Amino acid sequence: MLCFSLQAQDQEMQATVTKLDQANTVKEYQQLAGDFEAIAQKQKTGWLPYYYSAFCNAKIGWIYQNDGEKIEPFADKAEKDIRKAESMLDTAIQKKELSEVYCVLSMVNRSRVFVNPMSYGSQYGPVATRYTQLALKTNPDNPRANYLEGWTKYSTPKLWGGDKKKAKELLELAKQQLESALPAGINPHWGKKEVDELLNELK
Amino acid sequence: MMFPGRNFITTLFFIFDFIAAAAQTRVTGTVKNSNKEVLPGATVRVKGSDKGVYGDSTGSFLLSLSGKGKRILQISSAGYQSSELKVELNDFDIHLDITLKDSAETLGDIVVISVGSFEASDKAKGAALTPIDAVTVAGNGGDIANALRFLPGAQQIGEQDGLFVRGGSSQETKQFVDGALLPSPNFASVPALPQPARLNPFLFKGILFSSGGYSALYGEALSSALILESVDLPDKSSAALHVFPSNVGVGFQELAKDNKSSYGINASYGNEQLYNKIVPQIPDYFKGPEYFSGDGNFRIRTSETGMLKFYCNYSYSNVGMKNPNIDSSSLISSFEQKNTNLYSNLSYRESLGNNWKIDAAIAYNYYRDEMANQLLNEENQQRFLTVYPYSQQNFDSTTNSNFAQARVVLRKQLVHNQAIRFGAEYFYSNEQLSSSYTSGDTISKLHDNLVAVFAEGDIYITKNMAAKLGARAEHSTLLNQSNLAPRISLAYRFPGGGQINMAYGIFYQIPEITYLALNNDLNFTSATHYIINYQKKEGNRFFRMEAYYKTYNRLVTTYPAYSNGGNGYARGVELFWRDKRTFKGVDYWITYTYLDTKRKWLDYPYSIQPSFSTPHTLSVVVKKYFQDINLSANMAYTLATGRPYYDIQTPVYGSPFISDQGTTNIYNVMNVSFAYLFSIFPKWKNKEFSGIGLGCNNIFGTKEVFGYYYSYNGMNKMSVTPPATRSFYIGLFMSFGIDRRNDFINENL
Repeated sequence: MLCFSLQAQDQEMQATVTKLDQANTVKEYQQLAGDFEAIAQKQKTGWLPYYYSAFCNAKIGWIYQNDGEKIEPFADKAEKDIRKAESMLDTAIQKKELSEVYCVLSMVNRSRVFVNPMSYGSQYGPVATRYTQLALKTNPDNPRANYLEGWTKYSTPKLWGGDKKKAKELLELAKQQLESALPAGINPHWGKKEVDELLNELK
Repeated sequence: MMFPGRNFITTLFFIFDFIAAAAQTRVTGTVKNSNKEVLPGATVRVKGSDKGVYGDSTGSFLLSLSGKGKRILQISSAGYQSSELKVELNDFDIHLDITLKDSAETLGDIVVISVGSFEASDKAKGAALTPIDAVTVAGNGGDIANALRFLPGAQQIGEQDGLFVRGGSSQETKQFVDGALLPSPNFASVPALPQPARLNPFLFKGILFSSGGYSALYGEALSSALILESVDLPDKSSAALHVFPSNVGVGFQELAKDNKSSYGINASYGNEQLYNKIVPQIPDYFKGPEYFSGDGNFRIRTSETGMLKFYCNYSYSNVGMKNPNIDSSSLISSFEQKNTNLYSNLSYRESLGNNWKIDAAIAYNYYRDEMANQLLNEENQQRFLTVYPYSQQNFDSTTNSNFAQARVVLRKQLVHNQAIRFGAEYFYSNEQLSSSYTSGDTISKLHDNLVAVFAEGDIYITKNMAAKLGARAEHSTLLNQSNLAPRISLAYRFPGGGQINMAYGIFYQIPEITYLALNNDLNFTSATHYIINYQKKEGNRFFRMEAYYKTYNRLVTTYPAYSNGGNGYARGVELFWRDKRTFKGVDYWITYTYLDTKRKWLDYPYSIQPSFSTPHTLSVVVKKYFQDINLSANMAYTLATGRPYYDIQTPVYGSPFISDQGTTNIYNVMNVSFAYLFSIFPKWKNKEFSGIGLGCNNIFGTKEVFGYYYSYNGMNKMSVTPPATRSFYIGLFMSFGIDRRNDFINENL
């Protein structure tokens, strides 16, 4: 059990991010989303807790890929939090951070496609793709943006721009970027697990 | 002691501090969902302060609060509705058992109307149907009604178009577009030759197929209502064309730059002559079949919430065919039909503020049908014979009908997803039937004004239980009769997500014009429906089971005179299972329909199982998209027991009797269709999407017999079969889109 306290916010954040690095299940992500949200409400000014809370909920949407009925509340929550994170950034300077925010926005919109691709695909699919492109434009070295772009290339039918070869290249690039990245502390650094999983499927 | 009081004050502070510390209330509790599963990590917060905790992995929390008096606790967890609780702090420990409702478990998702109906909506989640799912069922030939035959409640009737639902004839199912009746959804019916639909199925973003118990907002359909909602503004300007050997078409949609209005025109022409040369047909077609259809539309977003839509469709068909005469082997029956139909629909919807909404529609339909029946000899010369039945086999008949409708519905949304809806509609119909036989001419003119008022309320009972109560009253000037139809449905949602629904309703319908022409003293026919169903959606799977009982009253009988002397019943059980999850990339559904029905109707001498019903129907629909080769494959299969057929003889003196009867063979038909998608100009900025579609109905080539025609004397019978064992199509379609979606997205980032 965690109690709110004004001290040791950074340790708390670090501890929660460390937990996030180990998370796998919906329950874990759900709990972490709550943790980050609580930290966000204490910090009031930091974009990161909102970013992480949104990421956890977006991630749940991805885990529920085959359970369309359940996704919407998580997507709604994630969207709300990521918009808050975005509003706390100075978009002219904080390009790297903005790129991370776009990645989560892309994930949220993609999770809305999972609700029922037939009914929501044409509405949210292009939005998700657009956010990935924006994330890459804002920071071409963002491995998470490359991962999402790779995911899109992997999952989209060829006719609509899908390309398995390109997907592999992007994923390998993302992997390389992740491996060469400096220790990020509490800054966004997720992706290794996701990239490896997809590369495995591509084999 | 310089400051004797100081220590005292300090001590007092300590004491107060001690008291304050002691005056802490320990609030403990657990947070669970309505399934009694613990919710780890729920947030428990004191409203108006930053004091809060979250639950541990067992859903338990401990919150120490100081002070006294009332506090409001806010409990939240993603995926659940937040809840607030008042607690009174008075130094005693408080234990709370908190249950959070699933966000998806709000009353809004207890769709009361789901009883008796299948909804294919562009808002469909998980395994619910989308309009695309419905219209891509293999072998439907571009007719929504055909696609819906693969859903529970509908029968597979190969020789006729339309929907035969739960023991009802196809005239007992009505189609509605944006609230207004669509009087003739298919091209004019031709004996034993199902006719295509006039409207393009892609026109609709919402398809609600009710196989019974439908809302009081609709009427004039004894068995079933097919409620269609047309699309709003397109998301881009586009042009499309298709080329099939028997049908070509072009069309475009233009979306205004401000994304606030659009217009479009489509035209298509089909002639089966060429196809019929390649694939031999049983009837000898001397004309067509030929079909022309043209439509125009405009749509205007009149405000943030307002939408005005106009749709107009003109269609023309021309069919001429010869078949062997049933009464004489040396004679030929020739049948020719020209049909013109104009349908237009103007609809408007707007929010009026304060949770009021208005939906209004006006529709107009003109229908003209000219039929010519001729008796020919083997040299194709017309023969006029005075002996019955041949004396009746040379005739011309013309039907002219005008139909207009105006309708307004007001709705108000209330708390807990409750709503009231009420409105009125007016139907005007004017029909003229003229026939000329060798023996003389007959003309009958009929016109009717039918007024209906209706009201319906969605009522919240408990969080898991809701009801819809409605009533509809109608008055027809032609019948000079009124009716009052109550409609009730109930829904109860189980904690696990399953839902049980019940419905009761009375449904009225004016007898068909051909009978009213002979006796306009007829009354409304009626049916009473009782339905119960259970359904559950989870993990991209959908299960539904429905049982029903219905009675028919005052059905039209033709003997001894035209009257409301008929009645009947239908009962059955239906199962539906859809699964988009088990097999990766494969979407399939299975439908089973059991039907037990009998009716005394028309010339039936007593209550018998109608020829358009069979006890058991099993359907399987499978769809798969092969992403790597851009190929979409669809399969639809039906296995149904045989249908009864009768030879009902009506002697000049005496009552009708059944002189011969039987049951047809099992219906066993598999349809397949494929669409291969590609792009001819992939590098072009406005890249086009093209596709080759091909399909085959009844790929196994089973010999289907739908029933028999009997000669006048009952000595000769001729099977009713499809015009060819298999039917095929292959063609190219192309779509050129000026994709403005990116502009739209950029604007909204």
